[in-house]
Amino acid sequence: METLFALLIGLLIGTGVFLLLSRVIVRVVLGLSFITYGGNLAILTVAGLREDAPPLLTLRGPYVDPLPQALILTAIVIGFATTALLLTVALRAYQVAGHDDVEAFGDSLARDPEAEDGLIADPEHQGPDRPDPEEPRTLVYSARPPGGDPS
Amino acid sequence: MTLAVFLPFLLAALCAWLGPRLGRRTGYVAALAFVPALLLALPLAGMPGALPALEVTRWVPTLGLALAFRGDGFSLLFATLIGVIGALASLYSVAYLSPHERFGRFYAYLLLFGGSMLGLVLSDNLIALFGFWEMTSVTSFLLIGLWHTRSAARDGAVKAFLVSALGGLGLLAAVAMIGLAGGSTTLSGLDVEALRASPLFTPALLLTLLAAFTKSAQLPFHLWLPTAMEAPTPVSAFLHSATMVKAGVLLVAKFGLLFGTSPLWSGIIVPVGLATLVWGAWIALRQTDLKALLAYSTVSQLGLLMSLYGLADAEGRFAATAHLLNHAAFKAALFFVVGIIDHETGTRELPRLGGLRKALPVTFAVALLAALSMAGVPPLGGFISKELFYEAMLHQGPLFIGVAVAGSALTFAYSFRLLRVFWGPPRSPPGADPHEAPPGLTGPAALLALAALTFGVWPGGAEALTRTAQNALDFAAYPGHLSLWHGVTPALLATFVTWGLGAALIAQSARVSTLGRRLTPRLNANTVYYALTEGVNVLSSRLIARTQGLALPDQLRIMLGAAALIAGYGVWRSPQVFHAIGPLPLALLPIAALLVAGALGVLLARSRLTAVVAVGLTGFGSAAAFLGLRAPDLALTQLLVEAVTVILFLLVFRSLPRSRDLPRTRWRYGVDLLLAASAGVGATLLVLAGVRFLAPPISPYYLANSYELGGGRNVVNVLLVDFRGFDTLGEITVVGMVALAVLGLVRVGKKGRAPGEAGPAPAPSTPPGTTRPKEKEEA
Repeated sequence: METLFALLIGLLIGTGVFLLLSRVIVRVVLGLSFITYGGNLAILTVAGLREDAPPLLTLRGPYVDPLPQALILTAIVIGFATTALLLTVALRAYQVAGHDDVEAFGDSLARDPEAEDGLIADPEHQGPDRPDPEEPRTLVYSARPPGGDPS
Repeated sequence: MTLAVFLPFLLAALCAWLGPRLGRRTGYVAALAFVPALLLALPLAGMPGALPALEVTRWVPTLGLALAFRGDGFSLLFATLIGVIGALASLYSVAYLSPHERFGRFYAYLLLFGGSMLGLVLSDNLIALFGFWEMTSVTSFLLIGLWHTRSAARDGAVKAFLVSALGGLGLLAAVAMIGLAGGSTTLSGLDVEALRASPLFTPALLLTLLAAFTKSAQLPFHLWLPTAMEAPTPVSAFLHSATMVKAGVLLVAKFGLLFGTSPLWSGIIVPVGLATLVWGAWIALRQTDLKALLAYSTVSQLGLLMSLYGLADAEGRFAATAHLLNHAAFKAALFFVVGIIDHETGTRELPRLGGLRKALPVTFAVALLAALSMAGVPPLGGFISKELFYEAMLHQGPLFIGVAVAGSALTFAYSFRLLRVFWGPPRSPPGADPHEAPPGLTGPAALLALAALTFGVWPGGAEALTRTAQNALDFAAYPGHLSLWHGVTPALLATFVTWGLGAALIAQSARVSTLGRRLTPRLNANTVYYALTEGVNVLSSRLIARTQGLALPDQLRIMLGAAALIAGYGVWRSPQVFHAIGPLPLALLPIAALLVAGALGVLLARSRLTAVVAVGLTGFGSAAAFLGLRAPDLALTQLLVEAVTVILFLLVFRSLPRSRDLPRTRWRYGVDLLLAASAGVGATLLVLAGVRFLAPPISPYYLANSYELGGGRNVVNVLLVDFRGFDTLGEITVVGMVALAVLGLVRVGKKGRAPGEAGPAPAPSTPPGTTRPKEKEEA
């Protein structure tokens, strides 16, 4: 039984990953849903699938493990919230960009558009501060502490 | 001892608070912090070779972590040195610092450094020793970068930190190895024989040397010390003449007892030390900035100390300990002198100064004593310790004594060069009116100069002081004495040669500087340092541009690919343990078919609607699976959520464009298939390997107590609400935040859209005033 479910989980997650890498934004969201399904079933399967009674004390035991069920219950709701948020973001992205091609969204974080060679990641951080060009590197001829005369 | 180490830390906090209130007078409080360290000298006064005292504060006993402080003669001597110079530097800076200085910060850093240094010298626990070692690196970084608005100070601080942190990592590894091989985390509890027999011995030795060389600025790590002179002068006197840089010397002295049996130890240290002695002195001779001259002179003197301790015999240790005291006295005094000159004239440039003898008579006297001691002229302490140095090197062979004489001749020459500011016609930069400095500045300097003189004219006292370390450093049996006159010995002859050479160097100073300019190598430690740091910068920039400048799916591909590789390696390496391949339940087969159909459906779907239906199929399929797997609550929740999700999709689809084909390029398609397949196979293997991973330990507790503690018969519900109530609270919070985010996005969207909600694809523009995510592509 576990083997069957392991295979099914593999199929669901594989499908999810394939969709996640797609260019159309809605398919990305669908892919996440698939990964959620796969993940939920995986938690249940890993805990062992048994033919015991559901964890309702009104029934007669032995019962199946209640802990994974509680975890999955949380996961389902969170998965739904994620899907809802992503769908809204997808909608909004489409409204702003005018298309739904994820690949064309690009990434404005890493590249500084002003940098000529496109290599400097962040214009604020261009390396260690060196002594000013007028000063030689090992010697600095400033005599007094800044901020006035010591007395 | 514990108090001596921790009082500076406590007072550092106090000084940080007092600084803005008391101003410069905070320095008096700071000086108090070193009083316990000075009191440590009391046992030294009573007994030669002071008995080791041990104070242990347990910390994490299971890891062998303890604050163990061991006051043997050498540690106490060193601690006293730190206490004396630390207190004098605190007092000196009261008069030295400008009234606009941020005193709180300055004194807090100074005390933090002093405390770390005391901890380092007194520590018996190896791990604590490493901790204090690193703290000295961090606090000296703060001190060097005190005037952080100057780029040179930042550069110096970063350089010092990078270099000493490199050595610190070496020390960490060395300490771990020593602890493992020696079977103890305390220095005094080590099984020395086991350590020497261990295969870890040589790596530990080499790493210890790396740490010692970086900290003590030996070649080729000397680059950080001169730039570290960007710190205020009192700090330089403290950090770089008496304490921090000597930490490496301390390491070599103490660990020499462990490693000294190996020929590798002396074989590396002595040549490196002698090379540093000569090279540092040669560069020092050519400096025109007085402080830079002293900085390179420190590099050179550290080389001398290193080479002596590196000999790992009683003679070397005796001579080195004597010179350690002398060096601390004359070097700190000279730093104070340079501070005074800087303070009075506004410059430290040699060519711009002259004839200060008349204006600064006291300073002149101090400088004369200290510089003559540095040059090794009798009757000063430096002369005596230099004689011992020559003795030791004579026993090593003609090459060694030759190098030693060359280094000392250069030392002799730059010591007199330093004094040149006091002779000749009075000269100082326009506007400066040099007159004698206040006693707050001359006092500490004079005290130290007197010490240098005392060491010379009263060798018995100096010897008694040196001998306090004899048990700790194992030179009790060494018969040598400190005295000014040994008779006409080879060492004395070598001294005369030194003076002659030194005098010649002074006389030919013009030629020396031309020669120096011609000999300056293009490739020096600094070039390498900047090339390395810049290389790292460029490399990381390129890496970021290549990996993070990509479109989102490509970034995902990289991440998933990396994950697949790592996980694949794990699967390949791990023993294949797969559990429980139970019977195939026929009842679940239809459900499985439903899930498969959903997955295939979404992959093959042409239209958006089909895809959503397929997802729904999978969703209902997994709900059915939950039902079949004895999880009725899950099935119920899944069904509800599924219904709402489908509605949500349909709602959103009204506003999205008709589905169209956005083909992936061929290789991307292949890569995606590969990634998806490996993710699927990985998930399958993971589940198979992990079956019954969550088995009984916790769950029976819930089953047994659900009714009694939670009052509910549905264990899953009780778990959610009672046993794991905070999880559920977190979950509700997440859902609430998502709801708010969705609301926000939808409302902005409404405002942003062209009138006529149900119209075709909306215009991409938004009216001003709406907060609109930054997006460059407007296809």
